[in-house]
Amino acid sequence: MKPRTQVVLLATLMSATAWGQEVSLYGTTMAQMWKQETPGFDKATFTPATQYLGIDATKLGMDNLSLHLFGWGRTDLRDASNFDGSKSGGYLNYGYLQYRFDQANAEIKAGRFTTNQATGFEQVDGVSVRTDLRGGFTLSAFGGKPVYYKTVDPRNQSDYEYQRDFIFGTRLGWRVAQTAEVGVSYLQDGSKAAKDLDIPSPTDYTRKMLGADVHFGAGSLLDFRGRTVFNVANERTNLAEHDYTATVKLGSQVTMTGNYAERDFVNYFAGTNLPSLFRQDENDLFRGFGGSITWNAPTGVQLVADYRHMHRETFGDVNRAGGEFRWSTSERTFLGGIGAHWVNAANTKFVDPATPYRSLSHKEARIWGMVNRGKLSASLDGILQRYENDNPYLVGIRNLYEVVGSLGYQATSNVKVSGDVSYGSTAVAKHETRGLLRAEYRFGFAKKGGR
Amino acid sequence: MARKTVFQIIGIALGLGVLMACSLISPEASFAATHPQELGAGRPICSECHSNDVAKGAQKPFAAFDHTPTFVKDHRFQANQDSNTCAACHAQSFCTDCHGGKVPMKPATRFSDRPDLQSPHRGDFMTQHRIEGKMDPSSCYACHGRANNDKCAACHR
Repeated sequence: MKPRTQVVLLATLMSATAWGQEVSLYGTTMAQMWKQETPGFDKATFTPATQYLGIDATKLGMDNLSLHLFGWGRTDLRDASNFDGSKSGGYLNYGYLQYRFDQANAEIKAGRFTTNQATGFEQVDGVSVRTDLRGGFTLSAFGGKPVYYKTVDPRNQSDYEYQRDFIFGTRLGWRVAQTAEVGVSYLQDGSKAAKDLDIPSPTDYTRKMLGADVHFGAGSLLDFRGRTVFNVANERTNLAEHDYTATVKLGSQVTMTGNYAERDFVNYFAGTNLPSLFRQDENDLFRGFGGSITWNAPTGVQLVADYRHMHRETFGDVNRAGGEFRWSTSERTFLGGIGAHWVNAANTKFVDPATPYRSLSHKEARIWGMVNRGKLSASLDGILQRYENDNPYLVGIRNLYEVVGSLGYQATSNVKVSGDVSYGSTAVAKHETRGLLRAEYRFGFAKKGGR
Repeated sequence: MARKTVFQIIGIALGLGVLMACSLISPEASFAATHPQELGAGRPICSECHSNDVAKGAQKPFAAFDHTPTFVKDHRFQANQDSNTCAACHAQSFCTDCHGGKVPMKPATRFSDRPDLQSPHRGDFMTQHRIEGKMDPSSCYACHGRANNDKCAACHR
């Protein structure tokens, strides 16, 4: 969508909020400052100011019609913090009208929205519908233009923008009350194949995905869900993904989960417009399995232990294991946690032939605490990542860390101000100090939302 | 040829489904637009109160929506298939906090005063992402795989 069209759409939608009987406005204003000292570069000071703004307006002339907007804008007061050297930016994350029917959980959305009702997770300028049908069936569909994060000059338009002119997705599901659900979904992104362009492109960015999902539940004891996705854009139908998770509850305090995932990169990455990052030419396959066990004690203590095995055919095996301890008082006046994870990549191949396992193996530890007393709040959060010697990614640094301290004041039930100071060492900046001021506010009637 | 026939059959079935939808629409009342009671702070375990109920529309036990650590990290299927159940308590902006598409800063920075949240990409993730990306690039793909993100493209040309 062109910037001018976005402004007109935004102005129209915002003026529509005047019709709302219940309007909520929420925002966060943030001012940051940090200094960076990067070897080989001049010292730089960054001071971006960021404004988030959201509006929910319900009962727009009729009870079931509502409007939802959310976006942000940012400007740099000193050195440019954007990668392209520009000093400002902004984005409309979503802006749509929604009509919820009183029957069948039916709804219609029109505008910019995020949808994941089919096999993908998509941001769309278009229309979305869903409804429950008789006999336990559900039907949903969306269509429109895929959203690009950056509007480029048409003279520099890339092949993928010519191809990704339209996106469509649909899902048909069937539910058995309390027990199971199965669904079949289809997603098509782009109506023109590379060979059909005016100037045929060597790369095809269109996607056609067919998915099947399943859910099985046995009361509160067992929950099993997952999906299988096929890439159907080519002559042959190819498997793109399996991803299945089972959750078992042992009594009221212990939960166990297990997951298996498999992804074929050629088919799973089909349609990416970052082919140098999500490389189909590696012809690779990922397989991973793992699980976790969680103990929720009634005293506010939570213990989690987790393990995951990851296998890439071109790189080998990696194992990640760790645990976390969390504790909170019943009134949440104090919350705290400590956790550690180990990544062992002793069986990887080819990452760095000279030191084959050191590139990926590392350890991570984190400790944090929060105190809420009346209108005051304070928190401290520290994270340390420790790598093996001579890791080629880290320019000779072995320990990366960051410590963040925060103080907050809840001025009213709708207004909170807070300030953070952080200090850390990264592979880019040996010493980095950051300051952040934050004002959060919420005005209106709606009771839901928040975090 | 056989595959084309399969797609034609699926297309016809979906088309017929849409055409017949008006007469097939469920007569059931919709799920509550908002949770009738204000919930306490922290992650709710829905089944503590709704022990024997079925979430209307979703047709699933409320236990399927218990906010366990696993649910907090991986809730895509619930959000995919039963977003109106989520909407009873969460505004759309709650999803955008982490799944905003294009955002000016990572969630861990935006909510750095809330270390109790499961914000993704804590610490120096600019360095860490090279390691994570080697181990499993498919885990990055869902959020970063298809948009023309100029931040990614600055290095990954």
